[in-house]
Amino acid sequence: MSGHSSAAAAQTGSNPFLRAVAAISTVAGWCSAAMIVAAVLITCQMIVIRYVLNGSTVWQTEAVIYLMIAATLLGLSYVQRLRGHVNVDLIPLSLPARVRFVLATITSVLTIAIVAVILWYGYEYWHFAWERGWRSDTVWGVKLWIPYLAIPVGFGLLLLQLVADFIALVLGIEKPFGLE
Amino acid sequence: MDPLLLGAIVAIATIIVLFSGVSVAIGLLIVSAGFLLVFDGARSLELIPEILFGKLDNFALLSIPMFIIMGASIASTRAGADLYEALERWLTRVPGGLVISNLGACALFAAMSGSSPATCAAIGKMGIPEMRKRGYPDGVAAGSIAAGGTLGILIPPSVTMIVYGIATETSIGRLFLAGVVPGLMLVMLFMAWSIYSTWRSGDTSVLSAGSYSWAQKFEILPRVLPFLLIILGVLYAMYGGIATPSETAAVGALLCMMIAMIIYRLWNPRDLWVVLRDSTRESVMILFIIAAAGVFSYMLSSLFITQAIAEWIGTLDVNRWVLMGAVNVFLLIAGFFLPPVAVILMTAPILLPIITTAGFDPIWFAVVLTINMEIGLISPPVGLNLYVINGIAPDISLKTILTGSLPYVACMVLGIVLLCLFPGIATWLPDLVMGPSL
Amino acid sequence: TELRLSHQWSNNDIRHKVAQMVADEVAAANVDLDIKIFGSQSLFKAREQYKPLSRGQLDMTVLPLSYAGGQQPAYNLTLMPGLVKNHDHAARLSASPFMAALEEKMAQDDVMVLVHGYLAGGFAGKDKCITRPEDVQGLQTRAAGKAFEQMLAGAGASIASMASSEIYNAMQTGVLQAVNTSSSSFVSYRIYEQTKCYTPAGDVALWFMYQPLLMNKSTFEGLTEAQQQALRDGAAKAQAYYLEEAKKEDAESVKVFADAGVEIAQMTPEDFAAWRELAKETSYKAFLEEVADGQALLDLALAVE
Ligand code: NA
Ligand code: NA
Repeated sequence: MSGHSSAAAAQTGSNPFLRAVAAISTVAGWCSAAMIVAAVLITCQMIVIRYVLNGSTVWQTEAVIYLMIAATLLGLSYVQRLRGHVNVDLIPLSLPARVRFVLATITSVLTIAIVAVILWYGYEYWHFAWERGWRSDTVWGVKLWIPYLAIPVGFGLLLLQLVADFIALVLGIEKPFGLE
Repeated sequence: MDPLLLGAIVAIATIIVLFSGVSVAIGLLIVSAGFLLVFDGARSLELIPEILFGKLDNFALLSIPMFIIMGASIASTRAGADLYEALERWLTRVPGGLVISNLGACALFAAMSGSSPATCAAIGKMGIPEMRKRGYPDGVAAGSIAAGGTLGILIPPSVTMIVYGIATETSIGRLFLAGVVPGLMLVMLFMAWSIYSTWRSGDTSVLSAGSYSWAQKFEILPRVLPFLLIILGVLYAMYGGIATPSETAAVGALLCMMIAMIIYRLWNPRDLWVVLRDSTRESVMILFIIAAAGVFSYMLSSLFITQAIAEWIGTLDVNRWVLMGAVNVFLLIAGFFLPPVAVILMTAPILLPIITTAGFDPIWFAVVLTINMEIGLISPPVGLNLYVINGIAPDISLKTILTGSLPYVACMVLGIVLLCLFPGIATWLPDLVMGPSL
Repeated sequence: TELRLSHQWSNNDIRHKVAQMVADEVAAANVDLDIKIFGSQSLFKAREQYKPLSRGQLDMTVLPLSYAGGQQPAYNLTLMPGLVKNHDHAARLSASPFMAALEEKMAQDDVMVLVHGYLAGGFAGKDKCITRPEDVQGLQTRAAGKAFEQMLAGAGASIASMASSEIYNAMQTGVLQAVNTSSSSFVSYRIYEQTKCYTPAGDVALWFMYQPLLMNKSTFEGLTEAQQQALRDGAAKAQAYYLEEAKKEDAESVKVFADAGVEIAQMTPEDFAAWRELAKETSYKAFLEEVADGQALLDLALAVE
């Protein structure tokens, strides 16, 4: 069965660090949802401007795109907390508990490593755009460091949640792969 | 190293990593980073954030959350129940009437939601308990909803069609239209099977569902009105010159949220948050896979694997239908393990040139591909609809759901065969509305 | 040595053929240099190519330089209304001090030009011909390029932005009433099926876009003398071919539109002058506000006969 679960959010027990991280991820999730709603409203506004008022729509498309990218990246940690990132747990299911724990440790470490790499280069990319004063090549001409900021922030938050999950796994608060 | 051999190694590594239980998006990133590191050098890792961002930098893609919100907001009201009840009152005398009501409700709901699990959840919440109460076998109850839910990505709007349209640069409006008739065809096939199997089982207990007076039948009709309003509103916006298909998603989302709040009194912030939370979770999950699949396809292209495979298949001198058969088997297997968007994004750059060179219509192929993906949604090990059913009725075993949905899988395979024999099923409506295809 | 070249076009596009020609010439020179071409955005998306090029993660690209206008605002001059009159004028511009000044800007980003080239484009109207600024008044218009959006907005058009693949449907449903893009895009997206009137690039044309074959400068300098020479020789040959084909492309688009029964309109020198006056008030003005040394660059460009 797939691990796409609506009920099994990450366990925090009474560990203060895990609770704090869970709270941060939840706030990030709220921001992500708010950005999606904003994108819906802006798109509708654009249609009204164009179709009803026959006016120019210069900034809306771009704003919606950046909002949705930010919503995706900021939402990563929250969805990780909700265990909403779909996986294939056929092999973990068939393993005995001890081996399953070892496998969970390996996949957690690999996940943390790749996210850390993306965070690192994501920060570098953001910094490069900021330093060079890059803008988008449109009439609106957004300073690109603003939308790019979502990369380091989003992956930073995801890294935090992943580290918390790893700690929960090691402390036995969370079962490997959330399987009983 | 020979790119074809390298491609085989990548395939094996991808299977191992994805089966280890790591999430699909992260797994794709791990495999991509690993091969880039070894064959392109450490500097190529610098590009990953840029590619992730770039893949999401597309207006059409970002209509996905909006098409998901459409379904989720309506699903959280009693609209699904109304729809379901209306169909049931009208279809109660048909053999297997309740299953048919469910399938019809799934089809109508699919016309409002771009997502398959959302369709499954919206109708299943009502349909599964009701069918079990009336004595339908668990397998029939769960299987029909699992299958009916997959219509969510065939009947427009559709998240997978959007992704396909972007990956292959085909018109999303045309793709949406192409899904309509095949969607109706599948509904018919599903219904035909339900009627036949109920009739064959001869179990009269499921037939005596109670009857409704004509007054009761007409009294419920106005409650289906909001649905028709939404569907017509979205269609009008999309094909009436008001907005492009991707922009229409926002109109649909706003319309659905407003109808949910005004007609169904979904005021409570807590309930509204549940809608937003579920939509956000599904959207972020899908969009992250899309971004990660972008890095994966960059890796395949950068190591010249995509090009080598396309070239290799080009040199094979096989009958185009043999080729199509092989492509279908490949898609089916990929769909068993991976969510539709991941399959489409990972394979479209390789498959599309092959398909068009062999003289197949890319719009038609999108429909065949989508039905393959639908089968994947109700098959283990990664079947999003199976999970949804499991959430609604945890006491029905996976095996029961699977055997219940197996006949419907057969219907889908039959649907693919019919599409191959009569491609017009997919291409007739878009050609009629939008003129001959490009 | 292997070089990687990325572009956004299909295999039968003239810009792919230019890249292929350079690759073939270099291979024939037998100097241990192999150019691998990644077309159809199979490596990087169209607008994501300049950044990796300037950071040395990509060796070569064929790119509308104005895509990188966000990194170097001066590049916006390579898609400026009325700056180029026709293809021969474009060729003279490529060899002028103006281009030398732009190449200095490119050098700041570690980028250099191998093959110069301009492509032209025109206007298509859903219900009427577009030759003068008055014609676009109140029309929902999709323009290719920031400077054109500014100019068309100045003429009273409403600007809608969307992907090129959406243009056809948007014209069909009436979301769009006018389009301004390149001759080749008009043909490849079959815009002629949704158009009443087409204003192609003729003796005078408004829309010219500089689309050179670029290379990372450090990578070029890291090659041997023989390899560099082979690249230069191939580039020279490709540049001559590019100019000839660019001219043919406009004529071909006219033929396709005419065969489809679309009315063909021509822009007169007076129309051109009217657009240019408008552009001076709108897009030129916005450009000068954005770029510190903009006036000097603009003067250099206007000085080319
Ligand atoms: Na749908
Ligand atoms: Na599956």
